[in-house]
Amino acid sequence: MKKNGTYSVSHRILTYAFLFIVFIIVFIPLLWSLSASFTPNNRIYEYVAPFSWKAFVPVDFTPEAYGILFGERGFGIVVLRTLVISLLTVVFGGVVAFAAGFGFARFRFRGRNLLFGLVMVSFMVPIEVTVLPLYIMIVHSGWVNTWRGVVIPGLANGLVIFLFRQFFMEIPGSMLEAARVDGTSWLRILRSIVLPVSLPVTIGASLILFLSAWNNYFWPLLVATKPRFRLVQVAISMAIQQQQIYWNELFAGALIAALVPIVIVLPLQKYYVQSVVSSGIKG
Amino acid sequence: MNKDKIVPYTLIAPALLLLILYRFWPTVLGLHESLFTTSFAQGGKKIFIGPGNFIHLWNDPVFWSSVIATVLFNVIANPLQIFLAYILAALLNRKVKGINLFRGLFLIPVAISINVSSIIWKLMLDSGGLVNGILDRMGLAPQPFLLSVDQALWSVIWISSWIGVPFWSLFILAGFQSIPRQVYEAAAIDGVSSPQRTFRITLPLMKNSLAFVLIADTVANFLLFTPVLLLTGGGPELSTNVAMFEAYRRGMIYGDLGTASGIVMMLLCLIIIVVGLQSLLFREKK
Amino acid sequence: MKRILTLGIAAALLITALPLFANGAGSGESSEEKPVNLTWLILEFWNPDTVIAAYQELHPNVTIEAEKVGWGDFFQQNQIRLMSGEGDPDIVSIDLPLVASYGARGWLEPLDDVISSEDKSRWIPAAVESGTYNGALLAAPQHTSTQLLFVNKDLLESKGITPPGTDDRLTWEEVLAAAQAVSEGDIRGFNWEQNTAIYQLQPLPVSLGGKCIGEDGLTVEGFINSPEWIEAFTFYKDVYNKYGVAPKGDTPAADLFASGKLAMFVGGPWNIRRFAAEALLFDWTVSRHPYFEQGEIVTPTGSWHFGVNAAGEDKKAAAEFVRWLTAGEGAGLWWSKDSYDMPAQIALLESFNTIEDFQKPPLSFMKVAAAEARVNPVPRPVTPGFLEYDQLLQAAFSDIRNGADPKKTLDTAAGRISSEMNKYR
Repeated sequence: MKKNGTYSVSHRILTYAFLFIVFIIVFIPLLWSLSASFTPNNRIYEYVAPFSWKAFVPVDFTPEAYGILFGERGFGIVVLRTLVISLLTVVFGGVVAFAAGFGFARFRFRGRNLLFGLVMVSFMVPIEVTVLPLYIMIVHSGWVNTWRGVVIPGLANGLVIFLFRQFFMEIPGSMLEAARVDGTSWLRILRSIVLPVSLPVTIGASLILFLSAWNNYFWPLLVATKPRFRLVQVAISMAIQQQQIYWNELFAGALIAALVPIVIVLPLQKYYVQSVVSSGIKG
Repeated sequence: MNKDKIVPYTLIAPALLLLILYRFWPTVLGLHESLFTTSFAQGGKKIFIGPGNFIHLWNDPVFWSSVIATVLFNVIANPLQIFLAYILAALLNRKVKGINLFRGLFLIPVAISINVSSIIWKLMLDSGGLVNGILDRMGLAPQPFLLSVDQALWSVIWISSWIGVPFWSLFILAGFQSIPRQVYEAAAIDGVSSPQRTFRITLPLMKNSLAFVLIADTVANFLLFTPVLLLTGGGPELSTNVAMFEAYRRGMIYGDLGTASGIVMMLLCLIIIVVGLQSLLFREKK
Repeated sequence: MKRILTLGIAAALLITALPLFANGAGSGESSEEKPVNLTWLILEFWNPDTVIAAYQELHPNVTIEAEKVGWGDFFQQNQIRLMSGEGDPDIVSIDLPLVASYGARGWLEPLDDVISSEDKSRWIPAAVESGTYNGALLAAPQHTSTQLLFVNKDLLESKGITPPGTDDRLTWEEVLAAAQAVSEGDIRGFNWEQNTAIYQLQPLPVSLGGKCIGEDGLTVEGFINSPEWIEAFTFYKDVYNKYGVAPKGDTPAADLFASGKLAMFVGGPWNIRRFAAEALLFDWTVSRHPYFEQGEIVTPTGSWHFGVNAAGEDKKAAAEFVRWLTAGEGAGLWWSKDSYDMPAQIALLESFNTIEDFQKPPLSFMKVAAAEARVNPVPRPVTPGFLEYDQLLQAAFSDIRNGADPKKTLDTAAGRISSEMNKYR
């Protein structure tokens, strides 16, 4: 392995070969759903069994499903609305968890283990257990059919706190101590030392938070059923009706819904670079 | 330095406040239900029965079979997913051309909601579905997948891995990235071989991120039931009836909150024990 | 240090400031009469605008707000809200077999004070019977349903089989023979649309004289594992296994039929409208629900009812709306000729004969459905444990479909259901 990270030809071919195999496994279902989303609903099964390559190509091409999605179901505004909610969750939930993760990772204080234990337990309990008491609580605080009822209960995420804590524990202590000795404030340390070295994990944490809001529909459905609160996953599930499932609409909606988080995360890929923290540490 | 004492409390206060209000308190109320039952003789009134639900569960063979299914599922799925996620992350960590494209592409299964991916796989694995169509084309015998006692649990593991492996590989990748490059450079100079590099340098340095992935994946798999709900309904012959699904069925379908909370309570104890053991494992190596 | 405190306080403030994003929750309008606000949880594809507008016109003090939920989440949403006892929604939409189950939990307000026996006579009797629990009408029927045999005429004719006419009723033996003749390659002969649901399968044992549950609505031992049931489900198992004429698995039968890969299926009349809209590429027809040669003619029935939440604030107003909607003028406004559902009101069912759209095929098949809806419909068992009964039988049916032994499977199911039923005793 050379210093600048280039590999030999055979090494590179092997990497591509492996990636390609995984790619096939991961993408067959997606390719098929993409093709199905452009197919009239009653013809989707035609090329599945016996299998023909036509299953992956929309031979009876029609954008009808997308038309219905963005027309009747108002998917455009629904996506925007969910985007706002998800970004709010990422920003507020992210800041809160970042701070808590740092607190748990880098400080010794009375009650730390107990409190951290509570954080751990918080993501071991399924939402199905908490949903009824939480619903009653939201009804009593008059938050039914409000944005705060949808957003606030999802802000604190124990898993994300745990994630931050694990990664912050890896930051060399010498880095922080050096800064403290220099009299730098904690806020500044967080912003200018901790944040830059923890970008990959911050992206990961943001993804968890974003997806928790983006893919959530159990809760919004319960506390906000009015059309003006309709969110992405709820809109997608409308393709499943009592008498029939509109496969093409279901797939079209699901694929668009999957693209949005990816389009947001993709540009952040450039921060996925091997850390060079050690050079910044004072000996 | 005395002032610094309130710093950690300030840092964790907002998160804890929110967690206590919107997670713990409802959790306590929810699990509290396990001590009650609905009396139909009294028109659906809730009555206190102490450990009654637990005794009932203890004597219920269906509950025990769901415990076995849960353990089986986790014993297979957790190591498998961590191992595959590690391999995938190692691949994605290579600096070859177009790697960013691959990293982006592997996000797609992560970004699709579990309900939709379950439905897609249900169609794929159906007896007349795409996978059997492909097998048939390749001259192989069609497989029953979700319809067979022997294959259904594996199919559920497959689906949960289809979502889980790319997802957890992201965090292992982040772990790789946090290892300073200089460490490897030093190792290369010292002439450390490739497997040695993995076991002596990479794994120990990634202890914390691996601990996160292992624990988070374990918890997620213990609580996973959406594919079961949408694909098999716990069958065939209870082979995929994991404890969380049994709890869901009782609580949300039958409306029997007491027994459902009882199951979750026991499941929670099991998770805490498993996670406790896992964190001990990581602590020892220090 | 100060900065960090400020940061913490700022974060806390931001969180508490979030409510600013909120829209005001429903501003109450005042009118002379006591204003009444009713919430109503309905299925996504229903259109309540006409009936709500008409009712609010009649009762200016009443505001009805319909909240829509998709089919996949409807039961869960309904149930969580009812369990919470918070009185929302005021008007409950109930799929028929859950009436007893909700009733036993005390979630539904009896409607007999508001709905007279004259009102009841406007509905088909099977629907009234199943909306009643412990002698009280808990849910007023709005829709009903039935099942027809859908036939791909081209496929049958290609094998020299004369397809049945719309008023013919094949026996299961005839259906099986035709299915065997056409099953080859990737074409299958027959399936049920909901092939593990008690709704669709109960006519099999009942046609042979079997019963679904004891008189007490709780005993299943000796009923669901009676010789009639075992005979019926041996037939069912053979259709999938021995004869292999039906596709196992969950690909919807209607989708397979529409793509020409399934020659016949028993399914709901909603498919008539669907296939008409999709303009299928082959000639198709419907015929009556099949029966066993030596057995009785029995058809499935039951659909959506409306009830009143016992925890609601204004139960009287809600009940009056339900009466108007289901037995009164509202019924006619609710049901339109474009609906996928069948009305439970006899007059509306009879109006099918005069609706112009329904005079030529394929929409004329709606008239067949309306007639079939009144031929010996057998409702699903009225039991407070219907959810358990339904779920556990569904699992049993799907095991039998996959090849499990009918007797053993039904015995096990009877045992499991019995132990669930104990809590209702």
